[in-house]
Amino acid sequence: MDSDQELIELVNQGDADAFEALYRRYRDWVYSLAWRFTGNQQDALDVLQETFTYLLGKCYSAKYSATKHEFPGFSLTASMTTFLYPVVRHISLTIRSKSRRFTSDEEILSEIAAPVSKETQSSRSELAAVLAVLPDEQREVLLMRFVDDMTLQDIATALNIPVGTVKSRLHHALQRLRHDRRTRDYFLE
Amino acid sequence: MTEKKGHFDEDLDLRISPKLSEDLNTLFEPQFSVPPELDRAIMDQANRCLVQRHWRHRVFRHISIWRIAAAAAVIILAFSLNLTQKPGPTTTSSFIVEAQAVDIDRNGRVDILDAFKLARHIESADRSKTNLSPVSSTGQALRKQGWDINGDGVVNRKDVDLVALAAVRLDKNKGVL
Repeated sequence: MDSDQELIELVNQGDADAFEALYRRYRDWVYSLAWRFTGNQQDALDVLQETFTYLLGKCYSAKYSATKHEFPGFSLTASMTTFLYPVVRHISLTIRSKSRRFTSDEEILSEIAAPVSKETQSSRSELAAVLAVLPDEQREVLLMRFVDDMTLQDIATALNIPVGTVKSRLHHALQRLRHDRRTRDYFLE
Repeated sequence: MTEKKGHFDEDLDLRISPKLSEDLNTLFEPQFSVPPELDRAIMDQANRCLVQRHWRHRVFRHISIWRIAAAAAVIILAFSLNLTQKPGPTTTSSFIVEAQAVDIDRNGRVDILDAFKLARHIESADRSKTNLSPVSSTGQALRKQGWDINGDGVVNRKDVDLVALAAVRLDKNKGVL
């Protein structure tokens, strides 16, 4: 299977199949992230489309190099998720600010936290309730690490903050979960 | 997106249980999937852009090649014209080309002396206050000599100027025009 960098180079050469491969590889992740930011299916789909349009534009609109007689195209200098995260975040916040469909993170989490009968759902709703009261920056880093599966370095690059800050935010978020009676069971050995 | 979590083992404080990881992922899993229509729309857009990019690339590449080729052709053409051709006639010199009679002294060459000779003729006619207009006898005589170079019906300094110009511009090796 081609690496992301190889696929990007193929897209730079005008290979639509390579673009489709990249799209299939990251579509669900982008959609999931967009849904998390916007809390709305339609907005998330808009974000998905705009994100890949942006990526396409990066490959398409690169300036012509007169010395090399070619369009050098887009150069991926970090991991794909590190590149895409701030793009999705920015587009989501823009769409969210324009949209009347906007539901805040807290509202999404409150809905999830509504009382349910089953035990598993109950524990998840309690988790959601605790997450809802976490500071935004702590919750964001926690989700990037354990939902998006990003490394500390990738998170730092995507958010443009030092790795130490990422660690600190993650540490505080986990401390809150560890010490809250509703979520402390997750940390019992 | 699949390397990862290993390095967290070094920092026990930042690890979480598989159960917490699973619940987090379940909580933030979108409730709906991406409709196939959107997949198609995005891929159609990609196809259009990438085909356009491909052609843009080719066009720019060709333009570069043609630019170089055109510049080379212009230089070669300029050199070959310079070496093999004399300058083309201008509006003023078209009179000269048409007027074979600029060789005033009929010596087979057109030079500045022809201009002097014509000037002297005109001067002497002026001194005798003879009218050189088309109706005057002196004027008609001069015109009969074929010295009305510009064909305006009058032999005057304008004709001298044209002869002088012809003398300067002529290829001396080839003699008369």
